[in-house]
Amino acid sequence: MPVLALLETSVALYTIGGAGSLLLWRSDAAATLFAGVTSIVAAILGTAASAQVLIDGTGPSFAAAGPIPFASFLLRFDPLAALLVLVISLVTLAASLYSLSYLREYAGKGIGVMGLCFNLFVASMVMVAVADNGFYFLLFWELMTLTSYFLVIFDQDNKAVAAGFLYFFITQSFSMLLMTAFLLLFIHTGSLDFSSFRAANLPPWLGSVIFLLTFFGFGAKAGMVPLHIWLPRAHPAAPSHASALMSGVMVKLGIYGIIRFAIEILGASAVWWAWTVVAFGAVSAVLGVLYALGETDIKRLLAYSSVENVGIILMGVGVGMAGIATGSPVLAAIGLLAAFYHTLNHAVFKGLLFLGAGALTFATSTRDMARMGGLARRMSWTASFFLIGALSIAAIPPLAGFVSEWLTYQAFFATGMGPDFTSRLFGPLAAVMLGLTGALAVMCFVKAWGLMFGGAARSEAAASAAEVPVTMLVGMGGLAVLCMALGLGAPVVAPVLSRAVAALRKSGAVEVADGTVIFPGDVHQAVLSTPLVAVVMVCLVAVPVAIAAMHRGRRLAPRIVPEAWACGYDHDARMTVSASGFVEPPDVMFRGLYRLRAMQGPVGDTLDGSVIVSTEAAGIVEPLWNRMAMWVATRGVPFIGQQLQVMEGGNLRVYCLYILAALAVMLICVVG
Amino acid sequence: MQGAVLFGVGVFQAILLLLAAPLYSGISRVIRAKFHSRRGPGIWQDYRDLLKLLNRREVIPAAAGLAFRATPYVVVVAMLVVAMAIPAVMVRSPVAPMGDLITVIFMFAMARFFTALASIDCGSMFAGVAASRETTMGVLNEPIMILALFTVALMSGSTSLGNIAAAIHAGRMPAYAATLMAMLAFGFAVFVEMGKLPFDLVEAEQELQEGPLTEYSGRSLALMKWGVALKQLVALTLFIGVFIPFGAAVALSPVALGLGVLILLIKLLFAFIAIAFVENTMARNQFLDVSRITFMGAGAALLAFALSLARV
Repeated sequence: MPVLALLETSVALYTIGGAGSLLLWRSDAAATLFAGVTSIVAAILGTAASAQVLIDGTGPSFAAAGPIPFASFLLRFDPLAALLVLVISLVTLAASLYSLSYLREYAGKGIGVMGLCFNLFVASMVMVAVADNGFYFLLFWELMTLTSYFLVIFDQDNKAVAAGFLYFFITQSFSMLLMTAFLLLFIHTGSLDFSSFRAANLPPWLGSVIFLLTFFGFGAKAGMVPLHIWLPRAHPAAPSHASALMSGVMVKLGIYGIIRFAIEILGASAVWWAWTVVAFGAVSAVLGVLYALGETDIKRLLAYSSVENVGIILMGVGVGMAGIATGSPVLAAIGLLAAFYHTLNHAVFKGLLFLGAGALTFATSTRDMARMGGLARRMSWTASFFLIGALSIAAIPPLAGFVSEWLTYQAFFATGMGPDFTSRLFGPLAAVMLGLTGALAVMCFVKAWGLMFGGAARSEAAASAAEVPVTMLVGMGGLAVLCMALGLGAPVVAPVLSRAVAALRKSGAVEVADGTVIFPGDVHQAVLSTPLVAVVMVCLVAVPVAIAAMHRGRRLAPRIVPEAWACGYDHDARMTVSASGFVEPPDVMFRGLYRLRAMQGPVGDTLDGSVIVSTEAAGIVEPLWNRMAMWVATRGVPFIGQQLQVMEGGNLRVYCLYILAALAVMLICVVG
Repeated sequence: MQGAVLFGVGVFQAILLLLAAPLYSGISRVIRAKFHSRRGPGIWQDYRDLLKLLNRREVIPAAAGLAFRATPYVVVVAMLVVAMAIPAVMVRSPVAPMGDLITVIFMFAMARFFTALASIDCGSMFAGVAASRETTMGVLNEPIMILALFTVALMSGSTSLGNIAAAIHAGRMPAYAATLMAMLAFGFAVFVEMGKLPFDLVEAEQELQEGPLTEYSGRSLALMKWGVALKQLVALTLFIGVFIPFGAAVALSPVALGLGVLILLIKLLFAFIAIAFVENTMARNQFLDVSRITFMGAGAALLAFALSLARV
């Protein structure tokens, strides 16, 4: 079956699944099953199609006139689009399997509608990736926003609705930038086809304007700081299998847009574009993980960590752009390879972690990490899968996250060896930011896993939790296996992605792997063999095991004591590390970046009238950006509204005048 | 063939450092005793301690789970991998595909990840605080390590630790002041990583009851203690192997390798004596103030980087 037919069948199946799910709305079980099974099949087809294009290094196009005269319906399934379709399909496959039992939690709340939104959401993401015409791109882009908006507000509580509103408001206002950019390109080229955009010979100033418009327009969707504020509210509000797709996949379409426009269409011609992207990436990475660290809600923590990972991907993209702008093909190839690899990896482990968070919510009915604890014993499969995800995202060798971060470091190293002073200065400094991010990510995910799965149960719900149903485990397990495969299989995966980079840049692929090692284009610079690391580690386990086995201690069964030692005092359940206590050191050390608001409420009686004996301090770490953005929303928007009211006098003739004036301006634009 | 021999050297390095780790920690204890005007336990005491612990029954709190049980093994394995990969006996990395500076730094991160995880897992309040400290030290220290090593890596044109050591050994560094400054910064970071006073904050014995080790006992405690000693030795060897590779074997001959081992052990001895002087004349830092001191290390690394840009 040709790849295009596979892709079309896949999209058609998503749509049929969505429609069928809506028609079956009376029966939750039937709707779940129909939507789930169709999207599983569709995702398998999508994976097959995109894998084939990636392996071939080239893909087909499709053209039809379409019903609209000024926009022809063009699809282009090139390796970059295939990478995105692969990412979408893999996470969808796991999430759909998972949804078969997970949706039980939503019984009676309209699963039929959810199936429709979920499947259309996936289909629209696939279409965004392959659309090759500005009009259809925006159409699917808006469909993606709309369907995900309905998933965000699915719970219908105040929090979800508010989060949905913020999400819709921000993505809509920033997609205006995209429309403006497309319009400028349309004016210049007279067509909305991406192919004519590519052929356009833009004056440098116009190129820069379009770069900035698209960078911020797509950056808002990617969740780049400071346009991220919607992300940690909206992603957690959706059902977990949809959160996995939003955080693991949808943000990648923002990245996709930046790569497609800044690099392929605009040719990454100016060096300052590249450093702008790196700077925004570095700030997003550090602040994203710092704010993730301050969260006690697991899904919010994961959402902030997506901001971090988008930052890391953007750093890779920026280095690639710098390589193109300064004319060094190897640097361009390694930077983009790192970005591509991390795009794939992040989708897999973030999907896994969100599905894990959903499993925990399913089992304990809470998202508050402080109310979990000790779940490794009751949910050992979920705990193991979540640990693999946490190790991957913390870039621990030899798992997936490590390989792509290693490549990003190598890209920065190559930048530091570059010919111009800017590169030599900023490349290594960006690597330091990445190092800081990595160390903070270790802290963040030690906290997450430790508080949720380690120690003793901290609530009734956690004490009586049970392992989740098997389809949920299979969904998570598949992604956990992929985390390992993408790490250990680096020598196989890297060349494929390197070919995708080459196809994007229309140049020869840079050599990045030989046998079991990968290297950044140059063997002298560095080599890494994740399979070797893994094999050596497995073999070396024999050393401590042998040491332990050779002595008498092994024959004595361990004595289990009920509690940890507390210096001779009675152990109390509260004598364990708390979520806020764990992050106190960075809280103090990075105080400038946080604003701590402590709410105190007295608990119990007071011994002394003036001294509150026990206080329940709830530290809410509130990111600074939120306050500033909220200020704009609460003060700025009404202010502009008041000013605009002057125009609305209610006089019909004045309104007609406005319409005429608008028409005149448009005519001048078109004719002039 | 040469690859296999080199791999053998790597395995040998790992075993050497594993076996020598209790010796050097024992030497530290003896020097510390001398500073206190005590006779001290003798340099072989740590071997006797490990042997004793290996023969004891384990006592495990009920809350402790898989992470707690697995961590002693993971820490030892992670450090053995680093010991195989770094230039120590030779002026090159015996197993180059694992001997990249980023891989090595993230292997340290792996040990840190599991140590902290086990500390939370056992449910002890002391260990819980230690977990927070352990990961915070990583946040403060890893950027210094990365910048200092990146500075010398950029000057030698490779991030492979073996190639950096070779460049320093051959005097091929284009900027001497920058190399020296990077060496100081990295030395500082290694000292912090070793957790010696005044940075004895994670395993703070009097304050946190040895932090991550609080709930360990029997053979797990033996492996943990061994792992910590190994981590200290490996970190120091990394510093010596990269920045002071003089005397290490260049050729792959038995004589050169034997001499390399001897010279490495002597260099480590001097380093431990020097460290003993620092740690025994210092008081412990207050933990929340430690970021101000590590800031100096970061400043030194930044200065090294600036000097390398100016090619001085």
